[in-house]
Amino acid sequence: MARLLVQLKLRLLTNALRSSTTARTTFIISTFFAFVFAVGGFYVLALFRGLSASVDLTTVIFAVIAVGWLILPVMSFGLDGTLDPATLALYPLRTRPLAVGLLAASATGAWPLANLVGLLGVTVGLASGGLGVLVAVVAVVLEVLFCITLARLVTTSMASMLRSRRGKDLAAFLVIPIFAVYEFAIQVIPRVAAKGGITAASFHGVDSWLRWLPPGLAAHAIQDASTGRPGTALMRLALLAAVIVVLGWLWIRSLNRALVTADSSTQSSQVRAAALPLARYGLRGAVAARFWIYQRREPTSLVYWAMTAVIMVVVSISSIVGRPVHPDIVIASAVFGAAFVGFFHANSVGLTGPPFVIEALALTSRRSLQAYFAGQNFALSVIAVPLLTAICFGLAAAVRHPMEGVTATAVALAGLGAALGLSNIFTVSLPYPLARRTGSPMPQAASGYTSYGAGGVFGNLIGVGVLVTPVIIAGVLTAADQPAIRIPVLLVCSVAYGVLLAWAGVQFAAREAVDKLPELCQIAVRSTP
Amino acid sequence: MGEPAIEVRGLRKSFGTKEAVAGIDMDIAAGSLAGLVGPNGAGKTTSLSMMTGLLRPDGGRVRIAGLDVWADPVAAKAIIGVVPAEVRLFERLSGEELLEYAARLRGLPAGEARSRVAQLLDVLDLAADAKRLVADYSTGMRKKAALGCALIHNPRVLFLDEPLEGVDPISADVIRRLLARLAGSGSTVLFSSHVMELVEQLCDHVSIINKGTIVATGTTEQVRGGKTLQQAFVDLVGPRTTDEEGLSWLGSSSS
Repeated sequence: MARLLVQLKLRLLTNALRSSTTARTTFIISTFFAFVFAVGGFYVLALFRGLSASVDLTTVIFAVIAVGWLILPVMSFGLDGTLDPATLALYPLRTRPLAVGLLAASATGAWPLANLVGLLGVTVGLASGGLGVLVAVVAVVLEVLFCITLARLVTTSMASMLRSRRGKDLAAFLVIPIFAVYEFAIQVIPRVAAKGGITAASFHGVDSWLRWLPPGLAAHAIQDASTGRPGTALMRLALLAAVIVVLGWLWIRSLNRALVTADSSTQSSQVRAAALPLARYGLRGAVAARFWIYQRREPTSLVYWAMTAVIMVVVSISSIVGRPVHPDIVIASAVFGAAFVGFFHANSVGLTGPPFVIEALALTSRRSLQAYFAGQNFALSVIAVPLLTAICFGLAAAVRHPMEGVTATAVALAGLGAALGLSNIFTVSLPYPLARRTGSPMPQAASGYTSYGAGGVFGNLIGVGVLVTPVIIAGVLTAADQPAIRIPVLLVCSVAYGVLLAWAGVQFAAREAVDKLPELCQIAVRSTP
Repeated sequence: MGEPAIEVRGLRKSFGTKEAVAGIDMDIAAGSLAGLVGPNGAGKTTSLSMMTGLLRPDGGRVRIAGLDVWADPVAAKAIIGVVPAEVRLFERLSGEELLEYAARLRGLPAGEARSRVAQLLDVLDLAADAKRLVADYSTGMRKKAALGCALIHNPRVLFLDEPLEGVDPISADVIRRLLARLAGSGSTVLFSSHVMELVEQLCDHVSIINKGTIVATGTTEQVRGGKTLQQAFVDLVGPRTTDEEGLSWLGSSSS
């Protein structure tokens, strides 16, 4: 069984090389990154040699890798056909050999190998002496085994849920913290570290509780063996092995249950609303109501709003956590926030997908298409206006220049109008099908349309940047004026300017769309957002 | 026969070098319940998409109740309803919200829309699930919801692509009765299917399409020619020859 499943895994990997160009490219890039991870991981762990906090740092890295193994399979459920026990439920297989086979299949591939090789950096960075190196090798193998068993237990326990709509929603929501942590890690940590805020000594004592968790047991076993305490080292390894056995036992039980349990986790969602809101406002109101409901109920929409907020905060983060403070950076946040609202909705046909056909069958005249785009913009504004305003004032307060919030809000509101108008134009002139690829909880441009997505980002960023320039200039030139007059005039003029830009976008998009509806429908039906 | 409800002339479409629809002609009388049958990949969905204004043809003409779909799409689309093959609906709306949205898109006043939605949900046996998200609907419920969206504005001509594919017998019966009732009231229904028994039972007019060409069209009796529709279809389209010699091990009596 183990051999068969390992062969299946290898076949899946090699088939990826033979299938579409995208799959081949993805496979090659993934393998390349696995190689970089292996070499980089080995190098970083080896660098810890001689540092007083080397065991603390190693413990942190072991723990981070375990967390990665915990999260990524949830995000990429379905990426590996051998992961889902339901695919094997039809065959007369005994649980124990199946478990061993699935474990062996999990350990097969570039990434498990990269983990093993990368973590072996501890043989240089933390271990010393023959016994130290030997224990390091065993500890690394056990750490990788622990990660794999943990990932298996989590995915098998959650398998029925991850196949369901709610499970897929959950996977989409996981993108938010991961995106926030990633942005924080690449924007904040290097700056703080460059100013001496983070050093190896910062990790001293960090493992006071991490040391008792399985990754900590592995790291400390290496240190114990290297500092003449082989008994303690062996006890730690035995404890880690026992944890793996318990996890394995739990996994087998969970696997046994998963093989005969139907997908019952999706409880039907009832909605309380008696009718569509805004119904009395005609077609525009109906479209606004549909988009408004989708902004609340569709995880992708919620993730887009959260990402917009994260991007705005990240743009200003250097002035919030560092010195010197550049209060004008809040204006840059406003521009980016507005531009990303536009970008995230710059392909609304692709994002709507096949149901757009229902709309297209009724949207035939220029007037109805104007109502369609205007309704869409109204629904997005209902969320974007308070969100952008709150973040602009919040960031201005965080950089201790609250008045900067006024200029930033004025820029954000004008920028929002520009972004919505541009998003309508891009929706019609540069539509592309979206695909939710296996393994990705968020939809991406379908194969062959990646440049369209990039065009939307840069088009919105440049377009919004250029169109809000008059508001930025007005804000800066009037900065010294009487606030009682300046604030209302600046805000009202910016809103009026934004509304004008959005209106122009709606007119242009409706005029173009009326002759392109069949083509837009074809994009929509090819989309699987 | 007066002016046909659906009139198709020389309709064709190619995708790259593959000719999906090779110039089809069709006349469907008003009040007909017509079937378009053919094997998988014959061009049924492509033809229906072009007839309903969802796919631009390379050539040919489609008139619905005298209105040219491609010259006057506003007028033509106002009188048709469409249920696509792969029913992809607004998953995050409830069944009730979905039908109301379809009604509002079609310009029905709010009060009238709600009244029709309630009646349709009742007839389609979806009233108990009206407040559930469409995402949680079964295949049969989705088909019925899609049918509800297509019927909400009382179309004169209804197009359905594989309406009973993957639908349970109870839901299929609801759909079947609704289609018969619609045709009986003077509206025209054209649906594609590869279930011959269904077409034979329901339709008074049949067209058989194969490799993008109509190979037979007329009343069900004419196309059948004294045989079952299944046999007539197999004779026209050509049976697949298979060599079953290699399956000597298959069956309970084999080891």
